[in-house]
This record gives sequence, structure tokens and C-alpha cells, in this order.
Amino acid sequence: MEMEQTMIGRGRDAIDMIFDDSSVQENEIGNYQFDSEIGPGAVVGTAQLEGQAVTFIASDAQAINPRFNVVYFGIIGLEEAYKMALSVYHTIEADKDKPLEQKRAIVLIVDTPGNGPGKVEEIMGMNKSTGSYQLALAEARKAGHPIVAMVIGRAISGAFLCHGLQADHILSLAKNFGTMIHVMPITSISRITKIDIERLEELSKGNPVFAAGVDFFYKLGGVEEKVEKVEDMRSLIKKHIDEIRALKVAGNFEKLGPWGRGTLGDERGGRTSRKVVMKLMDAQYEAVAEKYLNA
Amino acid sequence: MLKWDELQKANFTDSNARARAYGLVDKGTFTEFVSPKDKLSSPHLPVLGEAIEFDDGIVTGVGLIGKRPIFVVSQEGKFIGGAVGEVGGAKMVKTIKLALRAYEDVKKEHPDSYEDRLPAVVISFETGGVRLHEANAGLLAHAEVMDQIQDARGKIPVITIIGSKVGCFGGMGFVAAATDVVIMSENGRLGLTGPEVIEQEIGKDEFDAGDKALVFRTTGGKHKYIMQDCNFLVADKIGAFKTQLDEVMKIPFNEIEGYRRIGSLKLVEEQLELVKKAVEIAPKDSKDMWKYFGNENPESLTNMSYDEFMKSVKRRERICK
Repeated sequence: MEMEQTMIGRGRDAIDMIFDDSSVQENEIGNYQFDSEIGPGAVVGTAQLEGQAVTFIASDAQAINPRFNVVYFGIIGLEEAYKMALSVYHTIEADKDKPLEQKRAIVLIVDTPGNGPGKVEEIMGMNKSTGSYQLALAEARKAGHPIVAMVIGRAISGAFLCHGLQADHILSLAKNFGTMIHVMPITSISRITKIDIERLEELSKGNPVFAAGVDFFYKLGGVEEKVEKVEDMRSLIKKHIDEIRALKVAGNFEKLGPWGRGTLGDERGGRTSRKVVMKLMDAQYEAVAEKYLNA
Repeated sequence: MLKWDELQKANFTDSNARARAYGLVDKGTFTEFVSPKDKLSSPHLPVLGEAIEFDDGIVTGVGLIGKRPIFVVSQEGKFIGGAVGEVGGAKMVKTIKLALRAYEDVKKEHPDSYEDRLPAVVISFETGGVRLHEANAGLLAHAEVMDQIQDARGKIPVITIIGSKVGCFGGMGFVAAATDVVIMSENGRLGLTGPEVIEQEIGKDEFDAGDKALVFRTTGGKHKYIMQDCNFLVADKIGAFKTQLDEVMKIPFNEIEGYRRIGSLKLVEEQLELVKKAVEIAPKDSKDMWKYFGNENPESLTNMSYDEFMKSVKRRERICK
């Protein structure tokens, strides 16, 4: 496979490639105008995709947050996470009176290595800020906004949980773009689990549950579709928005988002224990439900 | 395992996940789902030559508080640090799902009195988040748990309990923050990044992971209580958590949202203001925030007994209530 030029660190370029020419209005969503000083590592706003308004949320790897010294190179800090959450809530607000057919899509452009790992972050509660962004995305998804995540570079662990894994569908540039989807690189897993790197590498060839990479997430249902060419990002995002919208209008919300990817992981043979556990729990609940419902 | 009455007096920290699950609901009412008898363990650990547990480190089931079905998830820190993999993650997700199913059932069977029988979810966290041995499956399960928490909004309360040695970190730190009500003991810790990683990132001069007092000041129950990231601080007994849960069950459901710290535009705006305040104060230590919130002698708070602390502490004023 031929290596392609990586998109790591190029969140702003991706915005230009994906949306209609000169349609990008940064820091504007509905009637809300963002303070451009706050959360410089997060790029949010409104753009057009084939003539339809969408909200975009991306990371700017070139930006440095002057107030938080652990926030650079695409890291999501306290301000960035709340800014991302605000952009979702203002999207919901802007379309709150519109029918499902007209709820604008949200496109997440994913290239982030992590949440802010600092002392001030922990004192103030970093878990709260990126947690708030996840809740906002889940709310928007359930309210009918089609949400597509497009992984262009790094989708690492907790940062991917926040910025990506709450989407309806996840697309990813194929691995020859140097795309990184993982919790930890194998070297770190080896250090923490005390299992030899050689053994982990050998096992990782066929074991999608811990090995790093797009193909393994695809097998687990964690990525809906791989994108082979950057030029295709635009049309495939549009295709998925249309598919998601059709499913929502038909009431098929359970086929989308994290729950839908659970089903997909089982269909692709990557996550088969999940269903066994859930089925047994259903049966065990049914056996005792009477007692608890009529206590 | 100890009898229920004995469990109430037991230290929460020293108890195991199953004892906590039994003790957090009314006497003799807990039924475990997917118990060790069912032997549903991780298929991924043996491949790596690792030991398994027949409950995969998570106890799940249902009990009662009064007439209310309480769906319990209780994580076991002694098994791989309470880390969440495919099986344990599925147990968590399905427990919330079953609570939502019970909510529909209760509404159907008791249309006039369903609020007295409203189910709830209680999650006792003891985890660092994703289990690295099955990291990808664990990560995807985290996203599913968060999805279920949002599904529960406006239907049933989801309550966090943290009083364990391991605390609640990594991806599960997001989940705990996203629940309606958080109950902690002084021994509980809640955060995202563990102390070792912070030390590695910003240097030992700025953050010494070996300094236990510093670690507890940064993410421990007392700090979270002052910041309003935890709603209730209780003593380190299973019975103390249970008594607080009983009280939470008396809160009318339409007031539960008022206990949240995140989950709406207004709450996010409040938190962002707090971040702006942090930029002004530039805290070198949690004590700087304690002082800002009106605790004149913050150092004294760290060594106070639970009772003294509860009498003297001043907390952040909430804007949204």
C-alpha cells in the first residue's frame, strides 16, 4: 500500500477540503457568536456542505492556549471542551423548532491526541468539561441532528471518546494516511501490563480488541467506513449525513451511535461477547421483574 | 460475606464490590445478574496469559430501596484495577438499559403511582477506565455507557458512589461527572488523569505523585465537595452511603436535574465562568480554590475529621440550582 501525505495536524485544511468554497463562518452558530480568544485549540462554526448548513467542530493543532500550558498540538483543554459543548448546545438551540428533516448536521473533524493532562485541569475537573461535550453530542444525536465524525489524524483514547465516539457514524481516512486510532501504543501497553512487546505484536496481528489502528476499530464496529482518498471525504460525509437522516426520520435511532456500533461490532465478528452478556441479563431480569416492579 | 446488618457498619473502602452492592440496597433485596455462577468472563484475557474472574470485575443486579427498583453496578478494584473491558462494559450498559426497561414497565403497571416506584441506577465506581488488555472494546463500551446515561435523562435518576481505594479515573471519570447525583467519601477520588501521568507531563516539581496529601487535595472527596463536583460527602461506611442514597430517593424527580454539574447550556456556561475564574486565580494547589470560596484557613480542612469538616467547610456557590 502506498503511503499518502498525512492529514495529522491539518484540521483547518480538512475544513477547507470538506465544505463548500468560502462558506466557512468560524465562531458563528445560529445567533451565537463565540469569543475567539476562548479555547483556541477548538475550531467551531457554521459552513455549507452542498448548500446545506452544518456545524463543524475540529481541533487546531497549530494553536497554543496561552492560559493553559498543557494545551497545544490538538489537545482538548478545559476551555476547548466547554467551547465544543457550547457549539453543540447552540446548534440544538438554533434548530429547536425545526422538524427532523431539517435539523442541521454536525461534522466532527477528528485529530486530537488527548485531554489536558495537567494539575489545574484536575483541580477544576477536566473530566467534567469533556464529559459535558459528550453529553451535549448525545443530546443532539437523540434530538435528530445527524452527527458524522471524520477521523483525519489522531483519535486517541479519552480524546476520541469525547470527540468522535458519540457520533452517529464514524468515518476514518485509511491507515496509509498515518491515521492513528488507539487507546495506547503497544509499547505503553507492554509497560503497564508487563506483557512482552514481541508477544503483544504477534497477537495484535489477529486480535482487534487491543491492537492499534483503523482496521481493528473497523472490525469492532468502531468505524463505520474507511475513506481511501482525501477527495472522497466531502462526498462520503454527505452520503452518511443523508443515510443517518433517513434512519432518524424513520425512527431507527437504535441503529446509530454507540449502540448501533455495538450491533455492528457483533456483525463484523469483532465484539461477540457483548450480545451474549446482554441476552442473559434480559432473561435474568425477566425471571425476577415481577417481584421488583410490584414491591 | 458479612450479613447485611454487619455490612452497614463495614468500611466502604475495605469492602469488596459485591459487599457494597448488597449493602447499598435494602436488606435481603439484591439479586445479582450475570453472577460468577454464569461464568461469563473475558475471552480476551486468557489469550494474553492473564487470569480471569467469573464476574469480570463488575457486580451487577437489582435491589430495592422502599418500593423502588435500584439497578446497581459495582466495580471491583482488586481485579485489574477495576478496568472496564468488553464483558464488564456490556454488564454496565445493560444494567442502565434494564433500569429504563423497568421504568417503562412500572409506568405501564402502575400508571397512577409510578413515581413512588420509579427505578434508579446506582454506580459504585472503582476504576481507572479502559482495560488495556482489551482496550478498543473497553473504549467502545465507555461510549455506550455515556449514551445510556443520556437516555436516562428525564426518566430515572443515575447516582454515582465513589469511596474506593482506586477512585474513578480515565474514561469512567467522564461517566461519573455525567450522572445526576454524586456521593463520595473523603477516601474517594474523582478525576481524569491519574497522578503518575500528571507528574510525567508537567514534572515532579509541579506535581509529585508520591505526595499522598497533594493527590487527595487535588481529586479527593473533600475537594470535590467544595467544588460542588460531588453533591454529598459521607463517612467511610457502607451504611453511610446507604443512608444518603435513601435520602436521595426522597428527592422529587423533577428536582434531580438541579443536582447536576454538567448536561445543559446553562450548566456549561456556569462551568466556563469557573474556568475563567481559575485563569485569574491561577491555583498552584486546590487550597487556593478553597480559600477563594471562603475557607480562610484551607490547610486546617485537610486534617479535620468528617464531622468537623462538614461543620466548617464553605463550598462554591452554585449559579444554576
